[in-house]
Amino acid sequence: MPAEELELIHRSLNGDLEAWGEIVARYKQAVFAVTLSILRNYADAEDATQDAFIRAYENLRKYDLSRKFSTWLFTVAANVAKNALRKRRREREPPLPEPEGDPAEEVHQDIQLSAVRQAVAELPEGYRAPVILYYWHGLPLEEIAQVLGLPLGTVKTRLFRARSMIKMRLVEQGVIHDAVG
Amino acid sequence: MRWDELEELLRAAVRKEVEEGAGRLSGLEERVIREILRWPARKSWWTRAREFFAQPTPRWALAGVLAALLLGFALGRLTVSSPIPQWSSNLFVIAAPGARSVSVVGDFSAWQPIPLSDPDKDGIWMASIPLPPGRYEYAFLVDGKWVGQDPLAEEYLRTFGEYVSVRYVGGERAGLSS
Repeated sequence: MPAEELELIHRSLNGDLEAWGEIVARYKQAVFAVTLSILRNYADAEDATQDAFIRAYENLRKYDLSRKFSTWLFTVAANVAKNALRKRRREREPPLPEPEGDPAEEVHQDIQLSAVRQAVAELPEGYRAPVILYYWHGLPLEEIAQVLGLPLGTVKTRLFRARSMIKMRLVEQGVIHDAVG
Repeated sequence: MRWDELEELLRAAVRKEVEEGAGRLSGLEERVIREILRWPARKSWWTRAREFFAQPTPRWALAGVLAALLLGFALGRLTVSSPIPQWSSNLFVIAAPGARSVSVVGDFSAWQPIPLSDPDKDGIWMASIPLPPGRYEYAFLVDGKWVGQDPLAEEYLRTFGEYVSVRYVGGERAGLSS
């Protein structure tokens, strides 16, 4: 862990909220990606991101300084998002977000990009989070397993399945031909 | 399109989705700090848990049933039927003495585990899987651990930082490229 980050954590442990604010600033987008991958909704992911930083601060004393801080923080965020998902299921289930933009005005690559975004958005629950943690955060599979509380083999099979599903969807839509390889 | 091109598209798509929503995070630092300062007004986890389980209707159970149904539906969608004739039986075999469970996962099963068996307990696990001609990527799961390099495979590739084995079913390397 970088010494500067360690210092921020120590200061936060001593009640320095300004230091914690700095941690929030550093990690907010990464944590947002984690919560968004689970909740599939910007507003809910924003709330969960805020809650994750509060929960992490509350539990900072439980953080083992020998572990990687980001992995611990993402694990807290994933748990907060999973709880929010359960709560949301009891109340409502919002529609999947539609990628913005008019496809007619987009160039070929943008059409592909929109189609991929839609295919990722349509992945079954449980498949999206490993995809985002892998492709956005570039997390090693072991860390993804740790963050999501899944066996390593499950993470691997979900990534393979997710990629197959995305490919299948893109082929169905005529965005790509079947010959991926 | 090559896999690495698809992966690059995936990376770009995920990045765009996160970045489009990230504008909402402006001022999050202040909001977090304000909320932490309001701690006494916040309910504890234990209080919330007691309130949840005290609900007259066990809605969490219904949510579980719904999730199972959705998962079943999703897995059902993964089962692909193929009109291609001339299916042949393919033996997947691996030596895994002492293993408690062994399965094979591959694109032919939408990466869902198909169990192997070791009826004579000699540590050689196998399963015969009928497949149409084609090129197949697969790996074994030995007690949940990924074994991507099957000594009997025709080639290996590395994807997601892990090996997977490749097998061609049918003549002329199955004449397929994916």
